[in-house]
Amino acid sequence: MNFVESDERLALRKAVSDLGRRYGHDYYITKAREGAHTTELWQEAGKLGYLGVNVPEEYGGGGGGIGDLAAVCEELSAAGCPLLMMVVSPAICATIIARFGTDAQKREWLPRFADGSVVMAFGITEPDAGSNSHKIVTTGRRDGGDWVLSGQKVFISGVDGADAVLIVGRTEDARTGRLKPALYIVPTDAKGFTWQKIDMDMISPDRQYTLFLDDVRLPADALVGSEDAALAQLFAGLNPERIMAASFATGIGRLAMNKATEYAKTRTVWGTPIGAHQGLAHPLADAHINIELARLMTQKAAALYDAGNDMAAGEAANMAKYAAGEAAAKAADQALQTHGGNGMASEYGLGALVLAARVGRIAPVSREMILNFVAQHSLGLPKSY
Amino acid sequence: MPNIVVLVKQVPDTYSERKLASADHTLDRASADAVLDEINERAVEEALQIKEAQGGEVTVLTVGPERATDAIRKALSMGADKAVHVSDESLHGADIIQTAKVLAKAIGTVEGYDLIIAGNESTDGVGGAIPAMLAELLGLPQLTHARKVEIDGTSVKVERETDAGRTFLEAALPAVISVGEKINDPRYPSFKGIMAAKKKPVTTLTIADLGIDASEVGLANAASQVLESAPKPPRAAGQQITDEGDGGSKIAEYLVSQKLI
Ligand SMILES: Cc1cc2nc3c(=O)[nH]c(=O)nc-3n(C[C@H](O)[C@H](O)[C@H](O)COP(=O)(O)OP(=O)(O)OC[C@H]3O[C@@H](n4cnc5c(N)ncnc54)[C@H](O)[C@@H]3O)c2cc1C
Ligand SMILES: Cc1cc2nc3c(=O)[nH]c(=O)nc-3n(C[C@H](O)[C@H](O)[C@H](O)COP(=O)(O)OP(=O)(O)OC[C@H]3O[C@@H](n4cnc5c(N)ncnc54)[C@H](O)[C@@H]3O)c2cc1C
Repeated sequence: MNFVESDERLALRKAVSDLGRRYGHDYYITKAREGAHTTELWQEAGKLGYLGVNVPEEYGGGGGGIGDLAAVCEELSAAGCPLLMMVVSPAICATIIARFGTDAQKREWLPRFADGSVVMAFGITEPDAGSNSHKIVTTGRRDGGDWVLSGQKVFISGVDGADAVLIVGRTEDARTGRLKPALYIVPTDAKGFTWQKIDMDMISPDRQYTLFLDDVRLPADALVGSEDAALAQLFAGLNPERIMAASFATGIGRLAMNKATEYAKTRTVWGTPIGAHQGLAHPLADAHINIELARLMTQKAAALYDAGNDMAAGEAANMAKYAAGEAAAKAADQALQTHGGNGMASEYGLGALVLAARVGRIAPVSREMILNFVAQHSLGLPKSY
Repeated sequence: MPNIVVLVKQVPDTYSERKLASADHTLDRASADAVLDEINERAVEEALQIKEAQGGEVTVLTVGPERATDAIRKALSMGADKAVHVSDESLHGADIIQTAKVLAKAIGTVEGYDLIIAGNESTDGVGGAIPAMLAELLGLPQLTHARKVEIDGTSVKVERETDAGRTFLEAALPAVISVGEKINDPRYPSFKGIMAAKKKPVTTLTIADLGIDASEVGLANAASQVLESAPKPPRAAGQQITDEGDGGSKIAEYLVSQKLI
């Protein structure tokens, strides 16, 4: 058993952290408030191969694992630049295409995932099928050699800056009952495909959209992999998604802790820095411990996934995502508290962090659904739904 | 196809607290994070740009304790081809002259070098003397404080910039150059660079390998000795001036009181 990351992983963290800190949290927040994107950072990270560390070498990627990609995501987050699209584009979409795509799909997309020159959003959530994805109704109908896709999606991140969206639908002959998903690559300029921004209180350059698919005609090769293996395909993307969501969250937690400790060391109101008061020091220490525990579980999940142990990785990835969401939310809340009135001032960016950290409790799967999963699968308890 | 040697030094991170060890006034290396000196990242970058344009090979050379391998690894991950690491306990407390002698011998192990690139001065020692001493020991021309470097097969041209102004230098190869802050922006190591670094050859040498006797180096044999040292006094809080319409004249008053204007 080894609890120390490899020299290469540590060097990667350092390099990514150096890059992320050159941009920093102010850059990120400014872009978000302007309604802009973090394109410069994305492209620079892409060119350095950081966004394609997990893409197979034969397609120009780094040939590393999800553990490497998670390290990139965590370090960028901790440096003040939590890139939500990293959770989606290279982690879910590239993984599914690399593992299940046809040769032609791999050749078309993977080299561009490798250098970050393509961004692919991921759409599974629907208005009437949030936590219960068995109720997805977006449907692909065969028409000659084509597919014709109709349906609606909500809360889909980053569509405005994406080249395509990987849409989880179902095929027509499987329209009812348990989900028999089908995955379609839908270019954002496809005819009949429109979207509308959802006003969110979160301050993020990666915004959420409602998507409308109105008889969108797609070529036969828009379907990823085979029609029958689709559930396995979907699950293949979900473990990396959870591991990345966990890293996204622990990075935000670390960012919050940095802000909090910096402030607690310098702010003095009773002749000693406020960080000396145990009422502040202990909750911060507690938050730090929980972040470290979540990081450890995240690394375990990534190691299991990269070792090819999908089953064990599934349980660990869910637990990591849960722990990370809780740890980040508590760290951000305590960081805000540590700042007193300044915690609410835009200048310090903590209000934005509190909501950003809270995403980890809701998306991509809510904490309650993870607790359900653990209750049923790990503890063998009966199901209420 | 130039064969370039880049001199790199591992230094305590400028962002961390830097201290001298109380026992012998040498650098307390355990107390701070060690990094590849930023000026040396620029030196490596310059070598890589030359290599990318003209081919050739880039060797990084460091004289430093065992953990200086991290600095070597960083340079290799940026794209250097191989490394020489001189590591020897007896070098503890080595002064600038000794370091220059060791570097000169170590450079001798790199066959057929055309160009040696150093930083103009390190951020910890701040001696700014190694490049000149080295040129002297090797009998080579020195072109220091470069902000621009051009080389062709047989000669090197340097735009040299110091506080005194700019000068334009030219010398025949092989030569020693040192680079300043403005030379370039060093690249971040790419993921592939990081993965490749571990497989690149690093030759580790002791001073005996270089034909140097332990009695010539180290703290006891340094030409100068540190007798006493004290930590820098904490920076006094600055004076804040609130602009109530008279901000400009208050600043002028302050500058006058400091005899700055
Ligand atoms: C910032 C952000 C970005 C997002 N990006 C994307 C994206 O890019 N692509 C995408 O497809 N989706 C995205 N989502 C959607 C996200 O995955 C869903 O919001 C999430 O899965 C929850 O679904 P829901 O909102 O429909 O909540 P619901 O399913 O309506 O749940 C509401 C509440 O009920 C609880 N609940 C539901 N069922 C149970 C149960 N059986 N037991 C106990 N409690 C239960 C839930 O935990 C939750 O607290 C994003 C969401 C956010 C907030
Ligand atoms: C085992 C060991 C222990 C040491 N212990 C101490 C110590 O305790 N305290 C201490 O202050 N110093 C120590 N040194 C460092 C040594 O004294 C300095 O390297 C030397 O004094 C150079 O001075 P400078 O950094 O001021 O050089 P400068 O002239 O300012 O450096 C200019 C450039 O020369 C090159 N250069 C300088 N030093 C080296 C080097 N070592 N290797 C490769 N290139 C170099 C770099 O390109 C640098 O940018 C130790 C060295 C070794 C090998």
